[in-house]
Amino acid sequence: MAEKENRRVLQFAPFQSSVDEGFWRRLSSLKLDTLGIDQSPIAITGFYAPCSHAQVSNHLTLLSESFPHEPSEQSSESIVTRGNRNRCPIPGILYNMNTLESFRALDKQSLLKAEAKKIWDDICSGKAQEDAALLSRFLLISFADLKKWSFHYWFAFPALVLDPPATLIDLQPASQYFCLEEAESLSAACNGWRASSLTADIPFFLVTIASNSHATIRPLRDWDACQGDGEKILFGFYDPCHLPNNPGWPLRNFLALIYSRWNLERVRFLCYREQRGFADMGLSLVGEVLLSVPQGWRDCQSVPNAVGWELNRNKKVPRCIRLAESMDPMRLAISAA
Amino acid sequence: MVLSQKIHEAFKGTVERITGPRTVSAFKEKGVLSVSEFILAGDNLVSKCPTWSWESGEPSKRKSYLPPDKQYLITRNVPCLRRAASVEEEYEAAGGEVLLDNEDNDGWLATHGKPKETKCDEEENLPSMEILEISKNKTIHSIPSYFGGKEEEDIPDMEEYEDPDNLIETDAATLQSTYLVAHEPDDDNILRTRTYDVSITYDKYYQTPRVWLTGYDESRMLLQPELVLEDVSQDHAHKTVTIEDHPHLPGKHASVHPCRHGAVMKKIIDVLMSRGVEPQVDKYLFLFLKFVASVIPTIEYDYTMDFDMGSSSN
Repeated sequence: MAEKENRRVLQFAPFQSSVDEGFWRRLSSLKLDTLGIDQSPIAITGFYAPCSHAQVSNHLTLLSESFPHEPSEQSSESIVTRGNRNRCPIPGILYNMNTLESFRALDKQSLLKAEAKKIWDDICSGKAQEDAALLSRFLLISFADLKKWSFHYWFAFPALVLDPPATLIDLQPASQYFCLEEAESLSAACNGWRASSLTADIPFFLVTIASNSHATIRPLRDWDACQGDGEKILFGFYDPCHLPNNPGWPLRNFLALIYSRWNLERVRFLCYREQRGFADMGLSLVGEVLLSVPQGWRDCQSVPNAVGWELNRNKKVPRCIRLAESMDPMRLAISAA
Repeated sequence: MVLSQKIHEAFKGTVERITGPRTVSAFKEKGVLSVSEFILAGDNLVSKCPTWSWESGEPSKRKSYLPPDKQYLITRNVPCLRRAASVEEEYEAAGGEVLLDNEDNDGWLATHGKPKETKCDEEENLPSMEILEISKNKTIHSIPSYFGGKEEEDIPDMEEYEDPDNLIETDAATLQSTYLVAHEPDDDNILRTRTYDVSITYDKYYQTPRVWLTGYDESRMLLQPELVLEDVSQDHAHKTVTIEDHPHLPGKHASVHPCRHGAVMKKIIDVLMSRGVEPQVDKYLFLFLKFVASVIPTIEYDYTMDFDMGSSSN
């Protein structure tokens, strides 16, 4: 009974964006040198990492490296981009418009829907199990005003909506949920996963805990292999959020995958968080949710509803950054004189 | 930029072009690092404090004497919950430890508040120090980012522009208002929570590491470098912290000027050695970050971890 009374709708802390100055510079030079008036969408890469400080969430970060490599520099670049534990790559798409009017006129609902459909298709086809980063796909619309060196932009982190929403049964720090041996073994396993360049940037994974408290981390594709051996299974993800009572946004599409691929109605998850770059079971959370059949989900043809446009200081408005001071050649010439 | 600083920059650039990078170790003698020692110390920092990573930066700015994938070190999204000025006031009031970085006090800590009379004399013949005119009584709650820039001519105000198609999204599972808020009881704590990207480059001229700060406000909008100075110890904001072009990243960033780094590191090393501790060069950046922490006291990066300074001979 007590358990029932405590149930509430599981609420997710939205992803937050962070754009480095280098990203806007790279976009400007692409626009001026290569793209011209071409408004075709551009595939870009965002980066994130688990929360690593108790006081602040991590963000989805865009850098100059977020743009596809120029052919000339391809060979030297590709060495560094994989396996960086502080830079898990997430695929995204950029719609950069030529005018403020066309930026405003973009049909945000259908753009979001289109990205949500890609996520849904990757879930249904099993592709997302192989390449879990596809679950966190994002969308960016922008207008680069290269006369004034100001950039208007708006991010969306499409999340498939579970309807009815997931019901939270239990959520607590991992250090409380696990016994000491389990917590230690899990910390060691997570640190190992994060230290290996093969797995460091894979943000979704399975955690199995054997009856002797030994924890193992496996990729999602091992789901079938870890059935039936009586181990406790948790669904782990790199949680960018630092809040003690809410998991971060990436869990949303993960739950969608878990439900639609494996038909689980009771799911235990691990919000993996770090302190100073190492697993922190006090910050990490373990939760349990109930999922019930969302309407129309048996059918891969119909895409679930999606939400995820980022708010700007709690308002439904785009952001704008003005970089004239550091980018405008006129101003730079004056300040250098 | 002050003229003398520009002349020095030109001089420094020329010297860097015509002289090779340091290859012989002078770590204990001068407190400086050779390029390979910098890589060694950087590798150690990355493995002990894995929020730090090596990056390659802008391809056009790459230094040939550093490996392409190890051009500089960076740790991103480091919280800074309060402004340095407010910390110093409290600290001094409480008689706390204050780092004394001048000739007489050897860069060590005074434990009973800052002796006011020992303020630094102008550092004699130091090259290129831009004196930044930041008025002390300038209010901290001035516009915190590029977001609200100054002289904004006729840019349509997008902030006033609520979306007409009312797109968003009533969704019971979205947590509302997840502002980046410090867990502090202050009324204005939203304004106080900033985050920083802290990077360490190798300065070939001074043969020491150099620290750079890129600040963001509570909604992750880039801070003007001048506002970054609010998070720098106020003594240093007027002297040792300058705003310059980052050697590997675009734009101007605040940086702790490296002209005294070698000397301060040498003193720290001497003190360690006088205590019978043999300093190890791969720990250099831990020592270095402890020293830098006195300049930027409120940014909570990973230097606080306990570590063994070197191999102790006793």
